[in-house]
Amino acid sequence: MAITGVGVVTPIGTGADAFAAALKAGRSGVRHITAFDCGGFETQIAAEVDDTTFDATPHVEPPKMMKVMSRPTLFAVTAASLARQAASLTPRDVDPYRLGVSLGAGGMGPVDMDIIAGQAAAIIEAAKENGGAAEFNIPAFARIFQARTNPIAVLRGLPNLAAAHIAIQNGARGPNNTLTTACTAGTQAIGEGMRIILRGDADVVLAGGADAMINPVGILGFSMLGTLSRRNNDPPTASRPFDRGRDGFVIGEGSGVVVLEREDFAKARGAPILAEAAGYGVTCDAYRITDERPDASAAARAMLNCLRDAGADPNDVGYINAHGTGTPMNDVTETRAIKTALGSHAYGLPVSSTKSMIGHLLAAAGAVELVAALVAMRGGFVPPTLNHDTPDPECDLDYVPNDARPAHFDAALSNSFGFGGQNACLLIRRW
Amino acid sequence: MPADPSLVDPERLGERVRDIIAEVLVVARDRVRPHSALIAELGAESIDFLDLIFHLEESLGKDIPPQRWYEFVRHRLPDQDPSHAITTDIVREFAEQEAARCTGPPISGASS
Repeated sequence: MAITGVGVVTPIGTGADAFAAALKAGRSGVRHITAFDCGGFETQIAAEVDDTTFDATPHVEPPKMMKVMSRPTLFAVTAASLARQAASLTPRDVDPYRLGVSLGAGGMGPVDMDIIAGQAAAIIEAAKENGGAAEFNIPAFARIFQARTNPIAVLRGLPNLAAAHIAIQNGARGPNNTLTTACTAGTQAIGEGMRIILRGDADVVLAGGADAMINPVGILGFSMLGTLSRRNNDPPTASRPFDRGRDGFVIGEGSGVVVLEREDFAKARGAPILAEAAGYGVTCDAYRITDERPDASAAARAMLNCLRDAGADPNDVGYINAHGTGTPMNDVTETRAIKTALGSHAYGLPVSSTKSMIGHLLAAAGAVELVAALVAMRGGFVPPTLNHDTPDPECDLDYVPNDARPAHFDAALSNSFGFGGQNACLLIRRW
Repeated sequence: MPADPSLVDPERLGERVRDIIAEVLVVARDRVRPHSALIAELGAESIDFLDLIFHLEESLGKDIPPQRWYEFVRHRLPDQDPSHAITTDIVREFAEQEAARCTGPPISGASS
């Protein structure tokens, strides 16, 4: 299985080259939130895609499509377009019915700001009609919301629409799947995209993830669950995976898409092969809703399944792009999982969390992080874990603190874990 | 009374319809001619008509249930291919009809 193109939209750059340079430089994309007035929020920081430079326009045809594209969809179609260009994949190269899409997407319903604002206004006016009574006046709400809200706004909130727009933009008439498995969605979408090809349902799959939750509902939701860093006064230092002073993750946004291709198909059309998509492993903790299994056995099993799928030995792994969220629990459990899966090879192996730079891209995280591992492998370096100042005795691996490091490695793992006990792992190999 | 009182003037209303079509379909205004076919020439799809009606509602300051548009098309363009038959002029006719209508029926399901 070949990866013939990659495309990313991230808080530290759009396009694989800009992203690789920023990873190597150890640049942080975390800043005070500019997307909305977050005064009074416990968490006021995020890793935003810079709207002064990001522009989806060149990647969308006809232009009117933009009006029904949510923010994650704009990221997704841009990443997919960049990946397809990198793969030199033109409509003549593949039967449209043999071109599929597999995308990880947020599943938290319509978080479009137009809809939120329309709902809020309608609720307030409905309450006024009710004489200010607390009881929710649903008929009045329905009438006011309907009158104020453009019906097409509803289409921006459907979770499968990002994958549908990728299909429309790229003429992909093959299988079109959306995975909404929270923070493992991007990883699973790539793994399941590999499976689509292996079972013979497509020759090429555009696979990845997209998410954009830097809005009042997204920030509040994760903040109320106690998962976000509150280090508001020094944003670039807030995301500190594996550091003893870590206090939660920082929400990021963006998209990553890779072009997966059956090896003989890629070779036959003379495609540039960037890496081998070699293995995929997936398990579920089946334990608690957000707590991870303390012994990390299911997470370790996902890694082992991935190695077995790739026919790889633990000693083959030269770099791990960790899930590394920077929550107190994840980093300890993940460290345990890595040691369980890789044994003594875990010590001395570079393990870094690029979330220290780009934040947690949620449904896009695994896809962007696989691209991080790929550009690092091809660029001869391992990305750093920023803000690693005070070691945590329970996190005792080599996390590549603070500075990128020159390195030659031939295989890399990328881990993703998610609420609901999701565990997923991908392995790429040098081609 | 329309949200913009000047839209009682048919010429102003016709210009507003052109503006709305250009905005909704994201095409240059000079491509929106009286006989331009919205679907075949300007690339409209089903949801664009919902968008268009929403913009008309805002301009005219009244509710326009989409069913009114569908019924208008059925009666005005019987047995015609909507891809070619729905033109700027047809939308303008509908807008004039709606502008002349005194009050709209309440949206179904609402209480007042």
